[in-house]
Amino acid sequence: MKWICEVREMYPFGKGFNRFIPLLLLLIPMALYIVFYFGPSILTVIYSFTDVKNLPGSTYQFVGLDNYRELFFSGNSGERWRSIVNTLIFMFVVTIVQNGVALFIAVIINQRLKGDYFYRAVFFLPVVLGVAVVALIWGMMFDPLNGPVNRLYDALFGYQDMFFGSFTHAFGYIIFVQIWMYMGYSMLIFLAGLQSVPKDLYEAGHIDGTNKWQSFRHITFPLIAPSFTVNMLLSIIGAMSTFDIILATTDGRFNTRTMAYDVYKETFRGSLEMGLPSALSVIQFLIILLFVVVAVRQTRKREVEY
Amino acid sequence: MRNSKTTQILSYAVIGLLLILYVVPLLLVFNVSLKSFNEYLLNPIGIVKNIEWGNYSQAWSEGNFAGYFANSLIYTVTATVLTIIVSLFAAFPVARGYVMWSGFIYMFFLLSQFLPNPMVAQYKLMLSFKESVSFFGYDTKLGYILLKTTGTGVVFMMFVGYIKSISRDLDEAAGMDGSGYIRYLFQIILPLMKPVIATGVILTAIGIWNDFVGPIMYLPSPSNYPITFGLKEFRGQYGNNWPLLACGITIVAAPLIILYTFIQKYLVDGALAGAVKS
Repeated sequence: MKWICEVREMYPFGKGFNRFIPLLLLLIPMALYIVFYFGPSILTVIYSFTDVKNLPGSTYQFVGLDNYRELFFSGNSGERWRSIVNTLIFMFVVTIVQNGVALFIAVIINQRLKGDYFYRAVFFLPVVLGVAVVALIWGMMFDPLNGPVNRLYDALFGYQDMFFGSFTHAFGYIIFVQIWMYMGYSMLIFLAGLQSVPKDLYEAGHIDGTNKWQSFRHITFPLIAPSFTVNMLLSIIGAMSTFDIILATTDGRFNTRTMAYDVYKETFRGSLEMGLPSALSVIQFLIILLFVVVAVRQTRKREVEY
Repeated sequence: MRNSKTTQILSYAVIGLLLILYVVPLLLVFNVSLKSFNEYLLNPIGIVKNIEWGNYSQAWSEGNFAGYFANSLIYTVTATVLTIIVSLFAAFPVARGYVMWSGFIYMFFLLSQFLPNPMVAQYKLMLSFKESVSFFGYDTKLGYILLKTTGTGVVFMMFVGYIKSISRDLDEAAGMDGSGYIRYLFQIILPLMKPVIATGVILTAIGIWNDFVGPIMYLPSPSNYPITFGLKEFRGQYGNNWPLLACGITIVAAPLIILYTFIQKYLVDGALAGAVKS
């Protein structure tokens, strides 16, 4: 049994049974991972081809692509497409606006403004507060009757909104809250990238007569491309798979359902059918995979090293 | 490159506007929390005139926040400590190559970041655990804590990177002196990893404390609610009584904000390390 423990390296902590201790301890995280995460993940893919029910002890049979067919070609398919469109809107708007604003603010803060630590701490605060608190804060701000934002709208434009209760606008406000919440996170990642850019490059550029935009475009941007990749990945995966903000604000009413929300809803509060949400999870996974691959390809191209 | 006066003024203006967007909602919530319901209806936005501290005691007792806080603390502390320990168990032998196929195991654990959404089967699994053993699985504290404990996530990856920077000579010296593996991990390696453990603790704790979906799916009985779920229920109960709800928000947010001002520096650095490594 020597081969299980002895690899390239000498194990310095005793012989015999002692050699197996690292492996035994490693089995704990391994078991947690396989039981709670890896296993269920693979099972979900398998379930998507079966008619499994959420009943203890029930058996299931393989039904081929029936679940997928039902997703897109049954009576409810209109709603399904709306979820998919919502998901894509959510992902594009969040990724672009959040990263755009975050990069802009990071560049501003990085010019050594007074109190820069305070600013980044404040912009990161919503992540600490968590989605339950954030949703309630904006619930009060966006209260249609007495909320401050409606007062502001009324004073400025003589217009009132229903916010999270509006069929056409609720989703937009959810996107706003999502960006408000996570902008600080992206900003921090950009700041870390910006601080690693050597200062003498700018001086060299300055001597060559670059203006601000040129030095940003040709010096800063290529150098912070790795943080750009990280941010793109985080916000694409995040926007595609989070739905807690939807759950906490509208609970899926007023045309605010996304695919991630649908998976939750069908699993948890829908019928006993579990094949359908499994199939939806698989579709969701494929879409994430597609966009991640495209985004990584695009940003990798722009990365350089000096 | 020196900045001109105008860019500087513009910069402060942009930051100032954004600060308003981030700070004003918090101040408004605090302001509303001090108003009586009648005053709120008459004057929802203006600065409070008659401070009504009674709101807080009412919210505290009717929201049952003490119980929710206790639950949140239990979940956060146990799952965070367990996560740090099992991540160490996973990271150390993988980083050192003390187990077979450590490269493969590393990739296998890394895969956890890219797997399809496991929610459906996870839910069914938790239900079937509950079917067979009553103290574990769906709607049990223990089940939720183990679900939240992971030795293979971002913390694991940070640990592997950090352990590689600790010299292997130390292992050999300790082994020579007759130290066992477990004792070496806890007495020598763990103290050496303080900075990365601080980061790991903060990241994990924020994630668990703020988990919103997990408790809704897996902890349906009120005796198990953590603070996030408690706040949601509180809202359901008091619909439009915003002074009372604002008290709830403040009660939940204030400890976090106070704690945050103390650990803010670690947290900002930690969040960065976590994100960049992943």
